Amino acid sequence: MMTPDPMTVANAQDDAGLRPEEFAEAAEAPIADAKDREPRAAARVLAEAGLTGVAAAEDCGGLGLPLAFALPIAEAAGRLQLRFPLVEQMLLARALGGEAVRVGRADGQGDGQTGAAELAGAIASGERLATIAWQGSLADGFAGHARGAADSDWLLVADGPLSGDGFPAAGGASLIERAGLAIETDDALDPDQPLAWIDLSKAKVLASLSADAFAELQRDAAILYAGFVTGAAAGAIKTTATHVATRVQFGRPLSAKQAVRHWMSRMQLATEASAAATRRVLEADAFGQPRDGVPTLAGAIANAAFVLEKAIHLHGGMGFTWEMPLHYSLRDIRAIDAAFGSSQLVKDIGWRFIEAA
Amino acid sequence: MTTATSTPTAPAVAASIPDRTAGPGATRRYAREWLAANLPASMRADSLDWQSPTLEQCRVWEASMHRAGLAGMTWPKAWGGHGLSLVEHLAVNQEVGRLLMPESVSSIGKELAGPIIMTVGTEAQKNAFLPAILKMEEYWCQGFSEPDAGSDLARLRTRAVQDGNHWRITGQKIWTSGAAKAHYCLLLTRTGVVADKHRGMLMFAVPMNTPGIRVVPIRSIDGKESFAEVFFDDVVVPDSARLGEPDQGWSAATRVLSIERATNRMYRAWRFEAELAFLVRACQSDARLAKRLDADMARRIGEIVGQIDGLKGLVERTVTQLMAGDGIGARGSLTKLWWSECHQAFAGFARSVVAGVRPDSSPLARRALDYFTHAYLFSRAETIYAGTSEVQLDVIAQRILQLPKE
Repeated sequence: MMTPDPMTVANAQDDAGLRPEEFAEAAEAPIADAKDREPRAAARVLAEAGLTGVAAAEDCGGLGLPLAFALPIAEAAGRLQLRFPLVEQMLLARALGGEAVRVGRADGQGDGQTGAAELAGAIASGERLATIAWQGSLADGFAGHARGAADSDWLLVADGPLSGDGFPAAGGASLIERAGLAIETDDALDPDQPLAWIDLSKAKVLASLSADAFAELQRDAAILYAGFVTGAAAGAIKTTATHVATRVQFGRPLSAKQAVRHWMSRMQLATEASAAATRRVLEADAFGQPRDGVPTLAGAIANAAFVLEKAIHLHGGMGFTWEMPLHYSLRDIRAIDAAFGSSQLVKDIGWRFIEAA
Repeated sequence: MTTATSTPTAPAVAASIPDRTAGPGATRRYAREWLAANLPASMRADSLDWQSPTLEQCRVWEASMHRAGLAGMTWPKAWGGHGLSLVEHLAVNQEVGRLLMPESVSSIGKELAGPIIMTVGTEAQKNAFLPAILKMEEYWCQGFSEPDAGSDLARLRTRAVQDGNHWRITGQKIWTSGAAKAHYCLLLTRTGVVADKHRGMLMFAVPMNTPGIRVVPIRSIDGKESFAEVFFDDVVVPDSARLGEPDQGWSAATRVLSIERATNRMYRAWRFEAELAFLVRACQSDARLAKRLDADMARRIGEIVGQIDGLKGLVERTVTQLMAGDGIGARGSLTKLWWSECHQAFAGFARSVVAGVRPDSSPLARRALDYFTHAYLFSRAETIYAGTSEVQLDVIAQRILQLPKE
């Protein structure tokens, strides 16, 4: 097991002039280390390396960096097949340290900012595990599609019904205690990390995000999940490129076959398009307006699913086995696909374009 | 948007383009306002006033764009350019793409011949050729492809033999776009034999009125005669027509091509988006077509929006990388392949949507039928020219993924 340099990313940031892209390199060692640990130990490793709090406010124990620095970490997590909700930790540590957070009850009876920094800090430091439910709401009485829900202390859920497709929502969201809530699991897609449906009838609210703060978190989520699935695709391409270059059939490596080479090129093309679109959506447009991350997320999910399916195919019989770990990335991508309802997202994008034409 | 009248006369020239310190937002605003005020409705393909422009009308329009600072942005001021960066070039292209205006009738000069001349030309050649390209006084054609050398230019046979202070050129070019109207040909020849492959190639700027040159137009799939066969029968040109030393011109061309593949017609993503919006508006304008705007159509449009999103990302990343001083290398193939295949598929989809247009359909729907039928037919070329899709896939496999062949 690799031993990461504590505060790897934080130390790297001290190196003046470090660019977001270089964070990926610095993040790889702690992510690789965390990969085989149980969730709480993984959280500590990632937090000590500065990853969970990379985009959280400094007074919450974070590094206070823009989301551009979290994106390469999400990509590295996807590339290295980290099966821990790091994206969710980064998102919540950032959002809970923001200004539009009330601590206390969802009805606004809490005492304002007091304690918000502590909540964000507990996540950034790895003391607490938190995740986000992308389906259901307090109003619905249940929530689901929250990665790592069974191991989490806290869960962010939408306050009101989510708009048709579940993303983006119109209202605010609340952070609730996960302990004491009944969970029903469905392991059809992923026996190792089954889908969890949580009964919210006894939910205890710790803090509330305003509608604006939740909308900002959702926008950030679209970018980081796009990065995660694109990273997963890039990792699969690297694995597959090695396989086709070394697997000899008919006296030559598979990569000598034009059909194989062209599939690999199409996989690379799709992944590069997703990566470029994700970088672009981070930046405001020429007139200073934020860009819509939803088309980027929908495109990234579709491209990554294509890449993983084709990567498995190009591994032949080996690709179909549990031993070949490509299936973990495919499951992660399909879980994110289901959480956001990407086919409905695509339709919504189309309807919005039709209305604006 | 307010558009100018449909009279395609020389438009009024607005104030000059902002300098680099104003930022890309100011450049975009300037370009948007200038184009809105000056582009005739008759030159907007999504306008009911559309009239297929003549070559002279296109010349006048493009010359006015240049005077307004919207062409030759990155070329040095000494040669008629505006001395701006790719950032401003991109900003203007984003606005150019938003409007369905005619394609440039001088793209070979502006995007290929000009940059190559800047790289390997003599000072005399730069002064003679470059300003005339931007002023729309001279058009160029590209004499690269031959009957036996399409994707594989190493097989080209057109020979250049030195004869004192002159060169004698014999051979045949084909699929030469714009040859009939061109004043000059950017001609690729070889000084040795075919077995030399890429060695010994020599490039010339050949006046198209030189004796011995014969242009035979080729009717293309869209019914037009926009490209041609060009025969060179013992054509004699002075040594001053040579662009660089043997090998140097070709070497420069490959470098320029790799950049141009990524940066030329940078407006494509935004034009693609404008075409999609035109298709939707055409459907909305017609009761029968409006029924096509259902959930399936929304899904397909959503997918296309995602593809355009990826294309914009690739284009803008290229500008960022070039501005940072990074080379483009093989990555131009990514942009070319993504655009050509996505746009070709879109053209087929758009044509199928408007295929049911009838004489009693809305005027805009009928305009769309004409536009997208042409787009569908012309898009057959998009996966062929500037390197076929198969060539681009090979480039990606070889140079980006570095997959072994043996």
